[in-house]
Amino acid sequence: MADTKVVSEVTGSVWKVLVAVGDSVEADTPVILIESMKMEIPVLAPDSGVVTEILVSVGDAVSDGQSVVTIKS
Amino acid sequence: MTIETKLNELVARKKKALAMGGEEKIARRRAEGHLNARERIDSLLDKDTYVESGLFATSHLPEAREKTPADGKIAGFGKIGGRQVAVVSNDMTVMGASSSVVNGKKIRHMREVASKSGMPLIFLGESTGARMPDRMGAQGRAILGQDPTEYQRLRQSPWVSALLGSCYGSSTWYACMSDFVVMRKGAQMAVASSRVTSMAIKQPVDAEELGGWKLHSETTGLVDLVVDSDEQAIAAIKRYLSYLPSHHNEAAPVQEVVAGADENSKRIADIVPADGSKVYDVRKVVEAIADPGSVFETKARFGKSLATSLIRLNGRTVGVLANNPMFKGGAIDVDACNKATSFLVFCDSFNIPIVFLVDQPGFLIGIEGERRAAPSKIINWMNALSLVTVPKISVIMRKSYGQAYLNMGGGRNSDEVICWPTADLGFMAPEVSVNVLYGVKKEEDPARYEELLQQVTRDTSAWNLAALYETQDVIDPRDTRSCLISLLDVHRKRLGSEVGRHLLSNWPTSY
Repeated sequence: MADTKVVSEVTGSVWKVLVAVGDSVEADTPVILIESMKMEIPVLAPDSGVVTEILVSVGDAVSDGQSVVTIKS
Repeated sequence: MTIETKLNELVARKKKALAMGGEEKIARRRAEGHLNARERIDSLLDKDTYVESGLFATSHLPEAREKTPADGKIAGFGKIGGRQVAVVSNDMTVMGASSSVVNGKKIRHMREVASKSGMPLIFLGESTGARMPDRMGAQGRAILGQDPTEYQRLRQSPWVSALLGSCYGSSTWYACMSDFVVMRKGAQMAVASSRVTSMAIKQPVDAEELGGWKLHSETTGLVDLVVDSDEQAIAAIKRYLSYLPSHHNEAAPVQEVVAGADENSKRIADIVPADGSKVYDVRKVVEAIADPGSVFETKARFGKSLATSLIRLNGRTVGVLANNPMFKGGAIDVDACNKATSFLVFCDSFNIPIVFLVDQPGFLIGIEGERRAAPSKIINWMNALSLVTVPKISVIMRKSYGQAYLNMGGGRNSDEVICWPTADLGFMAPEVSVNVLYGVKKEEDPARYEELLQQVTRDTSAWNLAALYETQDVIDPRDTRSCLISLLDVHRKRLGSEVGRHLLSNWPTSY
């Protein structure tokens, strides 16, 4: 069991948080939606696992490479 | 001495050469689950088509002759799917397949024959680098550089590399010159091994971090496809070559058309949301347009906001560049620029028509992009596009904003531009331009913002583009496949036997 940081690939602001602590997620499912370039851009879980931390809230500014969620996989 | 004695000697020498570096080393590889250099050739080529060149070659140093069968790099010719190819397979069991005077001559011969006789060159890589101590000192220098065209690439025929183990020296250089590179997980590619690097910089170096599959498929983009085994790598090479002509002076082979293609294409309407702010995976659109089972994506983990694939349309090979809103909203970053340019160069060099599937909010702007010379990458792409002489069709599905409108084939940068009714053309989103032009934000002065928004909003529709004859048709998305088949047929280079001018043939093989 390892902690995986789920990272935003774009700079923007948090539009929606799609998961809660304790949720199980599959690889490649969206966990956060970032609003950037007039688009709703999903941040995808790189691996399947259980969400252990949500590191951002709706409206937060997020930069490229920033961790937004932690999952245990 | 009788002829029998001579023939017996031939049999004995052949047996010794075919034994490679000895049973012990071969058994060790087998235990690790990897094919040896000769097994790789056997599984690559059609049965009974292999003709070896240089089986009896050895090190030029008399004291090393006995332990250097085929001098560590096995070379020859054979057929894949009935078509002639040249192949070099590195034999790690013979002095780590290190580069030497004699095996360098073998590679050169393969390269020259492949170019002159018009056949793909395949390099099955796994090598330790320069042979020591042959290359030590001034004498070692003097045996290098005797072929000034050694690292010249003119794309007369396709080059393919597989990275199937530790790859340093020639395996790395050839991969960087190849049109397609497949890497087996667990293999490494780097300038020097982690041991040499670690000694040079006096720090521990992790081999995977230095040159593993993640680095090359996600960060450098030097690897086009990652696989789990030697067998998968060889299958990928065969499949890749099936899309290509044998050389630059012929069209790609035409395959039989698979049934069911036209029904697939009707799914497009369910894949792409009409709302331009919603994302989807454009690779599903590519699948729906292509002949069933014909999509071969390259660099899938690199520059992901732009997907590049070889596909077949009605049996004919086509190269597709598609913006992918699923990643970065489809905004084109520096990696995606490099990926686009290298794909254009490749398609043009081998007479493969190009289709753009356009849905992009612009180039990804930001400090990181500027630090990586984004403007030069954008213009490099435009320069390449202006030199492409194969047919180009651009399909604007939804957004096409900013300069990237031109990069994705807008205006006269394609032979035909086709729009879906959902196309949305503009320089930037009107909501953003109110702030840029007038410095007015919605939350600060809603009434003035609304007024200015009305002022700057222009008709961004496909109909307006069509009225100006900047798009030659507006089509139902479900008709995209049939429309592309018709237009690619219209634009086939009949006067030149479907062969382009290859103005990009000496462009770099990596960026």
